[in-house]
Amino acid sequence: MSHGEAAIPVRHASGTPPALTLLREGIDDILSRRRLIRYLTQADMKKRGSDTLLGNLWWVLDPLLQMLVYIALVAIIGKGLSHPDYPLFIFSAILPWKWFQSVTTDATSTVVRQERLIRQIAFPKLILPMATTFSGVVGFLFGLIPLAILLLYFGRATPHLAWLPVIAAVQFVFTMAMAVLVSAANVFFRDLGNAVGHLLRLWWFLSPGLYSLSNVHGLLGNSQSPLATLASFNPFAVLFEAYRAVIYGPPDGSTPPVGPPDLVALGWLLLGSIVFAAVAIIFFKRVEPDFAKLI
Amino acid sequence: MAPTAPDHVPEMRRSASFAIDAVDLGVRYNLRFNRKVTIRQSIANLLDRKGGNRFWALRHVDLRVLHGESLAVIGPNGAGKSTLLQVLAGIMRPSEGRVDVEGTISGLLGLGVGFDADLSGMENIRLGGAFLGLDEDRVKELMPSIIDFADLGDFIDAPLKTYSSGMRARLGFSIATSVDPDILLLDEVLATGDAAFRAKSKARVIELVKSAKAVVLVTHDMDWVLEYCNRAMLLEKGRVVVEGKPDEVVKEHLDRTAAATEARQAAARAAGMDPAALAASQAALRGRR
Repeated sequence: MSHGEAAIPVRHASGTPPALTLLREGIDDILSRRRLIRYLTQADMKKRGSDTLLGNLWWVLDPLLQMLVYIALVAIIGKGLSHPDYPLFIFSAILPWKWFQSVTTDATSTVVRQERLIRQIAFPKLILPMATTFSGVVGFLFGLIPLAILLLYFGRATPHLAWLPVIAAVQFVFTMAMAVLVSAANVFFRDLGNAVGHLLRLWWFLSPGLYSLSNVHGLLGNSQSPLATLASFNPFAVLFEAYRAVIYGPPDGSTPPVGPPDLVALGWLLLGSIVFAAVAIIFFKRVEPDFAKLI
Repeated sequence: MAPTAPDHVPEMRRSASFAIDAVDLGVRYNLRFNRKVTIRQSIANLLDRKGGNRFWALRHVDLRVLHGESLAVIGPNGAGKSTLLQVLAGIMRPSEGRVDVEGTISGLLGLGVGFDADLSGMENIRLGGAFLGLDEDRVKELMPSIIDFADLGDFIDAPLKTYSSGMRARLGFSIATSVDPDILLLDEVLATGDAAFRAKSKARVIELVKSAKAVVLVTHDMDWVLEYCNRAMLLEKGRVVVEGKPDEVVKEHLDRTAAATEARQAAARAAGMDPAALAASQAALRGRR
């Protein structure tokens, strides 16, 4: 909605535009409402910070505490999984996972929560999952503080950490696509809100976060078995391995030298994520006009 | 079909004088997906696809508002008045037909736009402005007048959750009416806050109505219709019953309401509850006590 200029008639008609038009409109929605996305992200930050004694410190404490929980868990029931400098080993997976997990969980309610607004004003609803995605980015950035502490503590900081933004960029696209998808799907199937927490937990334990992909291969016999191949198609297998390659190093050596991530795998994941994002945006734009009726 | 079907001439539609031109609008609610459906229910409903779980909240509505016109939409509850405004505002896509809107359109469809309880009044104004599509400079420009009109004093920097409901309503009204659209949609926003603020807000709405190029208003206040509208439309069960001069449409509405009440009483009588007998039995009950 712009003000001042002479008006070109705007048409709202029944029927659905073709997919590519929807995609273009969706991208335009996001780009033209950047300020609104920023405000919503800031509001979300502020909300998390207020009401608690420690405020924004929780952004730093949260992943650290989660790491302690898993260290205890593995110390008790998963002795075989342990690696040297295990806190850093799992933290390099907890950090990206927390980003994805919090965004996906929040995204299920991001549209339905704004019920009142959606029924009162016309605005591009795509900005809602986008704001959720960006809040996740801020959380991830805060999580880099405890990561830095761990790296210094174990004396493992190397220039390869410069790869982090590249890996995070790939994860951003994938996370955004998932946020857009679940935020719209939850309007139609409210069960999703209940299911998503469990599905995410299952996904986490099936991904090489607490253990390495080579642990899985060892367990399945060899790295050529169909199950092992399937396991490496998991986007979070690719991402965790990539984060770990630049933060921790290959998991098999005892004093692992870090190096660049597997760029071929990352490239494929990026391509897949872009396609996923396009499909999610088209789906969202297709069902968006019905939100006001269903909410 | 409505008794007064508008006789739109197709070539007229391209003329630039209209603000809103809606043709054969229909909104169908699909109850299959309505209201917190679970997967189990929706599978059951899928099997029952042909069932009667759809209804038209609005159908075959033709509407044209010219620049300078103020159209009142009246009708009983559930007639589809608010749905009509939502379609015109672009909040809902019509299931049938189309709407062409020329000019910026803004709706006061309820209050509380952009409200976030954890943010301050000031931040809510910024957020609300961004939701309404105002650019940053415009919000900055409007800020003093919004704050002034809402009359919140020092509370403007306090989080919204500390506000009384009256203060929230004032801020909401102030944000929503700060936009200066070509076409204004109003949905029963005239009763908010205390008596003093109601008088102030009524004055503000009148001002907006006067400055807007076109107005579509949903209300139950017939005096308002007669005083400020130059056309009226009566909706019932999603259909246009009659459209025309405000006094005639209001009269039709009141006649039909009276007739409906009469019919209900007649039905009650027919069911054996004669008012006289009812009164007598009540008197007998009282006597026994």
